Amino acid sequence: MKLDKDARKLTKGLFQLSLTNGRLDDKKVSAVVKKVIADKPRSFVGILKEYQRLVRLEVAKHHAVIESATPLDKKGTEQLLAKLQAKYGRDLTTEFKVSPSLLGGLRIKIGSDVFDSSVRERLARLETQLTQA
Amino acid sequence: MSSILQELESQISGLKTTTTKSNVGIVREIGDGVARIEGLSDVMLNELIEFPGGLYGLALNLEEGEVGCILLGDEKGVVEGVEVKTTGRLLSVPVGKGLLGRVVDTLGNPVDGKGPINASATYPVEKVAPGIIKRKSVSQPVQTGIMAIDAMIPVGRGQRELIIGDRATGKTTIAIDTIINQARINKANEGKPGFRPLYSIYVGVGQKNSNIARSLAVLEAAGALPYTIIVSAPASDTATNQYLAPFSGAAMGEWFMDNGMDALIVYDDLSKHAVAYRQVSLLLKRPSGREAYPGDVFYLHSRLLERSARVDEKNGNGSVTALPIIETQAGDVSAYIPTNVISITDGQIYLETDLFYQGIRPAVSVGLSVSRVGSAAQIKAVKQVAGKIKGDLAQFRELAAFAQFGSDLDAKTKSILDRGARIVELFKQVQYNPLATEIMVTTLWSMQNGYMDDVAVDKIKDFQLKLQDYFATRKDAVLAKIRDKGAISDDITADLKAALAEFKTSYR
Repeated sequence: MKLDKDARKLTKGLFQLSLTNGRLDDKKVSAVVKKVIADKPRSFVGILKEYQRLVRLEVAKHHAVIESATPLDKKGTEQLLAKLQAKYGRDLTTEFKVSPSLLGGLRIKIGSDVFDSSVRERLARLETQLTQA
Repeated sequence: MSSILQELESQISGLKTTTTKSNVGIVREIGDGVARIEGLSDVMLNELIEFPGGLYGLALNLEEGEVGCILLGDEKGVVEGVEVKTTGRLLSVPVGKGLLGRVVDTLGNPVDGKGPINASATYPVEKVAPGIIKRKSVSQPVQTGIMAIDAMIPVGRGQRELIIGDRATGKTTIAIDTIINQARINKANEGKPGFRPLYSIYVGVGQKNSNIARSLAVLEAAGALPYTIIVSAPASDTATNQYLAPFSGAAMGEWFMDNGMDALIVYDDLSKHAVAYRQVSLLLKRPSGREAYPGDVFYLHSRLLERSARVDEKNGNGSVTALPIIETQAGDVSAYIPTNVISITDGQIYLETDLFYQGIRPAVSVGLSVSRVGSAAQIKAVKQVAGKIKGDLAQFRELAAFAQFGSDLDAKTKSILDRGARIVELFKQVQYNPLATEIMVTTLWSMQNGYMDDVAVDKIKDFQLKLQDYFATRKDAVLAKIRDKGAISDDITADLKAALAEFKTSYR
């Protein structure tokens, strides 16, 4: 569903309202959602969907997905977290995944930044270098 | 074998330590050659975006939380949710002399089945035109080989001369004739000191495949292909490729300009290019303006045509001449795209349907065609014989309209009418048959000096052909003199007089 200009503007405003010091505030978010559902403004379903999208993108910005081929040990995990928090801020949430398809190494995704040192990625790069040379 | 192993080893060791940082996004919507991507927080405008499976896209719209991207290929296999990444590169195409004689698509991939292209470099497709300091004024001619154009609407190297007219009025023919003539001149003068060859690039945008194949066959038959690059974005190609094709052609031309050579680019045609760009813009949901074209359709053409230039010795010492083509609807030059391109170019060659069906081919309308800078580039010999022709013809057109009503005309009017009718006959020229400059000069000289006044108007064409034949076979020395001097001196005049006197006695 295409959202009209006014609704889009309203959604953006609602999103701004849900921030405290530039960071998403859980209490404010739920308050905003409750208020929208109670008041039912024009095309409120669309507004909520757009609002959800903005919140999802904002959450993803401060969420790290760490993939590894085998489960990481505790020491390595702590070191990694310390490094990431130093770079992306204290409130970084993390999610650990084990994906054997990486073959080895790590792949970290935070927002739209990806740090890839997996064997799969290196093999892929080698392949392109050899086929394009 | 060992060298391969070594190379592999070095490549692998190069990879060992690196962790790549990339910026990725997720495809949210895809269709009609356009993708909307979420994420890509570091993307830059016009950056290449890599899709899985070796497909690339171009980021054209950077919005809050979303990126609009056009795809440079088949979207098959790309689905919602796949991950794409930025590359930090701009779209570029192969350039260089290795492309001559080849037919390539918008991205510079060969489509003629003659194997891979041996390119000397790659150039970005979008490039800023040379600035004021780098430029030099136009002073060398582009010989189109079409008498009506070389005599009245001369084109110089570095000029942008629009060819405009309705459908089927011979627009492409003029461009193809010019390309053939360049090939002939290049071939005849190869290796001569100081000679500057002119390489041609033909960009077909939104044309029928059959039309491009026909042009290709004509160029091949005339032996012009070794000096020509054909960039083909036919009607069956995606709108993205049609939109980018002229820019690819311009990049290929710029390589010649930067390396001390001259290039000629034909954009056939920019009306279809504007339509392709309109499609891309509407799919990207950009606001539409007049006739649903986006607001920057003027800038689209101006930045393309500004890249045609002549640069000075310090900045490449080359030139790019552009012959854009515009198709009008029912002769309406005041439509949106035609007026835009007319105002950008340095003059136009206007072709009229009426003239075409009267048998005046090329159907150049003298009154509406101009060349704003080309006269500086005209060689002296042509200037000497063709200086007054445009005025004479304009006067003839005006008087011819009145003369239809009465038969009693004074001597002066009659002489203008007679002269005009003969010029019109002389300027008729069959297609794909460009004339050498010295032949044009002798023909026009004989007309200006009254040698054709006693020839009946319906016999003029016959007289002209026989005269050309006579000069080519028996008076080659005079032609060579005109070619070398580039002007008609007193002794050449004497030679011409003697030759014409001899020819007139034998002609019947």
